[in-house]
Amino acid sequence: MGKALLIHKNQIIAYLFIVPSLVIFSLFLIWPGIYTIYLSFLNWNLISPDKEFVGFGNYVALFQDPNTYKILINTFAYIVILLMLNCFLPYVLSFILEYVITKGKNFYKKVIFLPSIISLVVGSMLYVWILNPVSGPVAVLFKMLGISLPFWSNTNGLVIVVLSLITSWKVFGYNFIVLLAGVSNVPRGVIEAARLDNIPLHKIFFQIVLPMSSATGIYVFIMTIVQGLQYVFTPVSVITQGGPNYASSNLIYHSYQDAFVLYKTGQSAALSTMTLLLFVLLLFLEFKFVEKRVYYASK
Amino acid sequence: MMKAKSKMSGLLCLLIIGALIFALSGCASSNGSGANTASSGQKTVIEYWHVNAQTQGGQAVDELVKEFNAQSKDVKVVAKFNPDMYKGLMQNLQAEKAAGKTPALVQIGWAYLDYFSNNFSYLDPNEAIQKYDPTSKSFLKDNFLPNVLDLAKTSKGKQAGIPYSLSTPILYLNKDILKQAGLSQDGPKTWQDVQQFAKTIKDKTQKYGFYMQEPGDTWAQQALMLSNGAKIIDHGKAAFDSPEGVQAYQLYADMVLKDKSALHVPWDQGVTAFINGNVGMLYTTVAQMSNIEKGAKFNVSSIPSPPFVGKQPKVPAGGSFLAITAQTEAQQKAAWEFEKFLYGVKSMATWTEATGYVPPRKDVATAKDGLKDFVAKNPMINSALVQMGKAVPWTSFPGNSGLQAEQTMIDTRDKILGGQASVASALKDAQQQINQLQK
Amino acid sequence: MPVNKFINGRLFWHILLLLFSIMMLFPLLFAISNSFKSLSESYNNMLSLIPGNPTFSNYVTIFTTLPLFQIILNTFITATIVTLFKLATSYFAAYAFTFFKFRGEKLLYFLFVATIFVPFTVMMIPNYLIISKIGLLNNIYGVILPQLCDATGIFIITQTMKTIPKSLIEVSKLDNVGTLGILRDIVFPLTKPAIVSSGIMFFINSWNEYVWPTLILKDRINFTLPLVLQMFISSEGGTSFPLAMAISMVTMIIPLILYLFFQKYILNTFSQSGIK
Repeated sequence: MGKALLIHKNQIIAYLFIVPSLVIFSLFLIWPGIYTIYLSFLNWNLISPDKEFVGFGNYVALFQDPNTYKILINTFAYIVILLMLNCFLPYVLSFILEYVITKGKNFYKKVIFLPSIISLVVGSMLYVWILNPVSGPVAVLFKMLGISLPFWSNTNGLVIVVLSLITSWKVFGYNFIVLLAGVSNVPRGVIEAARLDNIPLHKIFFQIVLPMSSATGIYVFIMTIVQGLQYVFTPVSVITQGGPNYASSNLIYHSYQDAFVLYKTGQSAALSTMTLLLFVLLLFLEFKFVEKRVYYASK
Repeated sequence: MMKAKSKMSGLLCLLIIGALIFALSGCASSNGSGANTASSGQKTVIEYWHVNAQTQGGQAVDELVKEFNAQSKDVKVVAKFNPDMYKGLMQNLQAEKAAGKTPALVQIGWAYLDYFSNNFSYLDPNEAIQKYDPTSKSFLKDNFLPNVLDLAKTSKGKQAGIPYSLSTPILYLNKDILKQAGLSQDGPKTWQDVQQFAKTIKDKTQKYGFYMQEPGDTWAQQALMLSNGAKIIDHGKAAFDSPEGVQAYQLYADMVLKDKSALHVPWDQGVTAFINGNVGMLYTTVAQMSNIEKGAKFNVSSIPSPPFVGKQPKVPAGGSFLAITAQTEAQQKAAWEFEKFLYGVKSMATWTEATGYVPPRKDVATAKDGLKDFVAKNPMINSALVQMGKAVPWTSFPGNSGLQAEQTMIDTRDKILGGQASVASALKDAQQQINQLQK
Repeated sequence: MPVNKFINGRLFWHILLLLFSIMMLFPLLFAISNSFKSLSESYNNMLSLIPGNPTFSNYVTIFTTLPLFQIILNTFITATIVTLFKLATSYFAAYAFTFFKFRGEKLLYFLFVATIFVPFTVMMIPNYLIISKIGLLNNIYGVILPQLCDATGIFIITQTMKTIPKSLIEVSKLDNVGTLGILRDIVFPLTKPAIVSSGIMFFINSWNEYVWPTLILKDRINFTLPLVLQMFISSEGGTSFPLAMAISMVTMIIPLILYLFFQKYILNTFSQSGIK
């Protein structure tokens, strides 16, 4: 009896802790999400008096549009590049800073974190000027060396790389200090012993540091994927508007463009729903993996 | 443990400070709004939505609104700035309408003429005058050129609003570069000349000869085709895939791809490259005049948009019109009162000086309290003034997929300039796609 | 062999890191320097980081034409409230998810975390309708309300809490420490790094947020700083780059001061327990 009551009381406490989040989420995230799924079956622009139910028409149109596949591939390319730039690179850097270099650690830490304070709108404007392929400071420097810069914002492939670089200028610093915290928790003695044994740095990194800080690592890994695409949105919308011919668009930007530039609300909702499903699937796979790894690390 | 405790209290302090500021500001802002309603008394408060950044007419809007509010007995205008130009305003308007509200007066870009008139209810200015200001029945006829008024007519022939800011593309010249390349400083006479000039500049100075604006629309590219006698749209159907259209686009594509004498970058970068002296000729809107004048350190001048050999120049009018979206009679009446004030000669002059747009009213450019002095001081605006008679409406593709049609034009531009498709096939595909959409 | 030794040595890494630091810092210096240039100089003297004729006129312009102090205050209030609430709601939710068993726990957690993936474009219009119905348009609290909790925060803090041994909580309960006591004295110190790092992220993101406030705020007296920046960006008339940079400097100065001020504290927290 008493135990059952305790469990009951605990349940109430637990719900009390969750209620604030639940209310906000339901109103401002889950309800819009459901509304979006509803919209994805309509041919409507949100304000017109004619609202036409088209069933799966919007989804069919999506699959028939060759641009959808282009954008999917772009999205994947963004994810891979952002993972390199914003997860792997800061990981390596935090290892170097923690265990290879002894002096100047604080200085580098400050300098590298600094750009993450800045808004990406500002960052994008800055890079439009700095990387102006004809007259920007970088172009001027390269001209002295006899090299002329490509028109990166109109070059397939390259445009994704440069936009990712601009994004990572902002994101790098934050990921870096989080990773640094994780890496610095690896017992020093282990690494010093390995260095005394003349084990090469890359081996120390991959075989000791990486597994022992994997909880932080996985967290940054996931956040890079999730937030990366949302962050890239800003430089895309400031600099290329998804162009040239969708070469720099991704799932998030494209659904924005459909909804708020072309007012094809139904199509956009269908794309958003697909994106959501795709990510939830990834999340589901990730979940099992993450849970296991974290458990392993804390043992 | 002690250490942790003190940190804990530090955090608590912060929380308390935060909460205090929160509370204080809450008081402050509620005071503010209280004062607001008190001062406006029984005046009708209307919202005016505009897109003008502080550096591009925004300050003039503030001034005009202030002046109007000071002299009006029964109307108070609140101006709302919408970032990201006409696209941004349309987004906000869409949300506002979905919430069941609308501002009283809005500034709509030409490309949205059809979308706006199909999806929002507005008051025809002729009706507004008849209803609320019957004494100035001939206001529109007296003050506006018929071809200018027509710009704001929908594909169904209704007057959606009154043209407010007009811009046309003009050709800016870097005279120093022309001189260095041994070219006439009066600039090219035709588009064929432009191509030759650009090539000569590239060969003689290693600099770029030409840049045509590439924003999120194809306004300038449409001007190019129109000036070769091509039609963008004919009887409601896309018609740019004509020999004239292809020839015009081919010349432009050749400059970028074959001669490599023209720059192919986003708008901001292209203008910057012109201003710091790396490009000989710039084809962009007259609204850039003041930016270019203030920024350039070389001899800069401008000429009207050229035609192709043996053709007449034609320019699509850019800019915006003002439409009354107020729904109640009181709001509509107030909106008209304010709109009429904005179209006064003096207000028009203030507006033009701050923006570099061409005034839509006939007499402003020459009137003494109008722009006479301004034109004398800024001769580059003349290039746009003289070509106003050649202004035609900027193609607003009809129907609900009109915006998608414009996007197709942008994609086509990217494909051609990126060398992914030949001009002929790209234009053909685009025309087919657009006409398919409209079915 | 010598190459290998060089790579393992400190000098190599210092050179690399210095180059990297310059690359990270350059855009910032470029922004600072341009905020003191005239329009003409910003166009014509791009390479030099030291303005030829330094001018304060850009700063004067923005401070005289706009109620900038009110706007800074608005931004600060918005970011502070958003950050504190997000941390609180995340912390409580994470606590429930970690230390309680209740019906629907797994599903709710999954649902919460899945919301991270909802693109913000999906939320814009429905949220606008709600805010408009409640009458919070043109009000910073309308900007704040939908942002009071955050799935990322719940995710990070829950992941961290899971590393706390359950037995620790059980023991405290036997010692008659109440729920609040456990939250404050036992769980909080152990999750501090995660809280601090998500707090920084929340603050910076909220500080720089512009899409949502653009929709909600109308009067400039209610604006936040990123909207001021938008006021000086014009595609049609050309953006005044120096003015935009001056506003950017104003926008970034407060997060910068906060960071420098709390840096010791932040870094200490990290190194004391670290994110597990």
